[in-house]
Amino acid sequence: MLNTLNGLFIAAVLAGTPLLLGALGEILTEKSGNLNLGVEGMMFMGAITGLAGSYYYEQAVIGSGGNPNGAVSSVIALLTSFAAGSLGALIYSFLTITLRANQNVTGLTLTIFGTGFGNFFGEYIGQKAGGYVAVSEVTKKAFSGIDIPVLSDIPVLGPLLFRYNWVVYFAIAAALFMTWFFNRTRVGLNLRAVGEDPATADAAGINTTVYKYMATVIGGGICGIGGMYMSMVTTSGVWVHNCVSGYGWLAVALVIFATWSPARGMLVALVFGGLTIMRMYINIPGLPAQIYDMFPYIATILVLVITSMRRSKEHAQPKSCGLNYFREER
Amino acid sequence: MKKKMLSAFLCAAMAVTLVAGCGAPAADAGKDKGGDSKKEASEGIPKDEIKVGFVHISDPSDMGYTYNHDLGTKEMQKELGLSDDQIINKYNVPEDAECDTALRELVEAGCNIIFATSFGFEDYVKEVAAEYPDIQFCHATGFQASDSGLDNFHNYFASIYEGRYLAGIAAGLKTETNKLGYVAAHPFAEVISGYTAFYLGAKSVNPDVTMDIMYTNSWNDPTIESQVAKALIDRGCDVISQHSDSTAPATTAEDNGVWQVGYNNDMIAAAPNASLVSPRIDWGIYVTEAVQAVIDGKEIPADWCKGYADGAVYLSPLNEKIAAEGTQEAIDKAAEALKNGELFVFGGPLKGVSPDGEKIEVAEGDHFPEQEEASAPSWQYIIEGCNVVQ
Repeated sequence: MLNTLNGLFIAAVLAGTPLLLGALGEILTEKSGNLNLGVEGMMFMGAITGLAGSYYYEQAVIGSGGNPNGAVSSVIALLTSFAAGSLGALIYSFLTITLRANQNVTGLTLTIFGTGFGNFFGEYIGQKAGGYVAVSEVTKKAFSGIDIPVLSDIPVLGPLLFRYNWVVYFAIAAALFMTWFFNRTRVGLNLRAVGEDPATADAAGINTTVYKYMATVIGGGICGIGGMYMSMVTTSGVWVHNCVSGYGWLAVALVIFATWSPARGMLVALVFGGLTIMRMYINIPGLPAQIYDMFPYIATILVLVITSMRRSKEHAQPKSCGLNYFREER
Repeated sequence: MKKKMLSAFLCAAMAVTLVAGCGAPAADAGKDKGGDSKKEASEGIPKDEIKVGFVHISDPSDMGYTYNHDLGTKEMQKELGLSDDQIINKYNVPEDAECDTALRELVEAGCNIIFATSFGFEDYVKEVAAEYPDIQFCHATGFQASDSGLDNFHNYFASIYEGRYLAGIAAGLKTETNKLGYVAAHPFAEVISGYTAFYLGAKSVNPDVTMDIMYTNSWNDPTIESQVAKALIDRGCDVISQHSDSTAPATTAEDNGVWQVGYNNDMIAAAPNASLVSPRIDWGIYVTEAVQAVIDGKEIPADWCKGYADGAVYLSPLNEKIAAEGTQEAIDKAAEALKNGELFVFGGPLKGVSPDGEKIEVAEGDHFPEQEEASAPSWQYIIEGCNVVQ
């Protein structure tokens, strides 16, 4: 029983990490008042560019007779996926902030664009590489579980806390940093003001355009890293068609579940991840697998109902979210 | 106003890029040089005019099912000397109305024979085949062709259960916990027949062995495949096998230090310290035969199924580095008996119950006629020792 629960916990962390990264990116975006529904698209863009970055780095090093380095390869994947996610978000920002296009429509278009972008280049690079694209053993090793001396060997706690791949710790660090940033820094306070009421923030001398651009672009980059997790960790560095397959939408639901709080995001990502793989660990006799697959969505609906009943002002969507701000319309 | 125009333009640009992205993999479809079927199928078609279409659920990057079927295509192309633009592949087609569209696009592109390789394509193939009697449609793993009344609709498969039985021997000898795990796609006869054969192979050399089976409810979803494999390992299974398309179970087994038996492809490259052996299908035999039949204007059988004895099913080389001692000998012995007709995989005594509650009993000395009457597997009974987790 205890073993099953341990197994469930570890599997939930692994399944929850891409959701957490996607949700963190979207929380940062929404805090600036932009509702970017293109998380799925930005994750796809991050997934393929992260993989491509690592792959081409390896090819270049092997081509010049050297040995690729796992750490360098990881950093390149991180940076390229961040850049691709940011690029997607930059298109979104330009359309909604500068040109004031409808946020919902632009976000949905970005999802469709990113999905096509990822699958097209995944297939293209695969065809050029002779059928399929996969990173080498060195990079695969770099993205598998780490081994910290002493800590990883503690019975029970070791595997439970200290044996994940580095992206898991990166995601947790990002969540903690964002919590501190929102609640303890001047810039974070300004950003929240922009998201709540851009007109007031503008009057107080905050440059709303810069805040909106920065939050949305960096948020998109974090979503891109979530996509990289799918291609580098979940599918072990092999490009698989449609590998993000709905995780971006789960991440958007997770933002609501987390009530726009990064710290809470960690907990609910764990719960969400757990719900997606629960049927493999806990068997309720007679319950069909399809019902299990609904659990994450049922949980989202329940949370929506409960939060709307409680009407907590602190844990609500930023007030101007979804609305474009135009100074001359004040 | 200008800004609105610009934003509309940028939105349109994104949409156009998307369409280009979707269209590009099938770009060679546009390059047909007037392949209208002016000749009747019965007269045959000159080799340099024939066009062959394929509809796949995934693409060769799965390094499994589609990769393996694609090898069959290449084998046929080499054997018959067709050029690249005579072959049109539709990759990543889901088992829904998109399949219908893909089939019709292949017809439009002038294909004379079309292969659809996933189980769920069958209804669409049947429908389109009825509308184009001059074009041959071949569907892998299906079962409806012989009863459809259509002359141009055919089913084909191979007796993969024989290969799984032999691969099961490697698993039965290797397991230390006497517990095997099986990542299964759907609760269909094709899958149940496969895992039962695998289990019977393991049991033939290790009477104490049991097996846990967990469904992914998808033919090709690497994320769920690896999660299910991990869950099986957490349940104490130390040899993982699969009826799913990707290498995800192999890499998961490798990461967790257990062993694995693949499917469709030699997975040793993906998991050098885990993958023992994989049963494979040589699709090239059928694809070559069928395309040759169209060239010659001959009929294609409604049901086609060959097995281990004909080379349509074979095992990838055993991973000697990690396989238990004597594995190769045990496999060779069983393979010989299968070829001679001394051994039947589904030979009695055997008792099982189907997921619908239907019971079957095969008496001692008797055997179940698996894939003998039709090309599709029909063993859909779960036997003792196989534990379906759900």
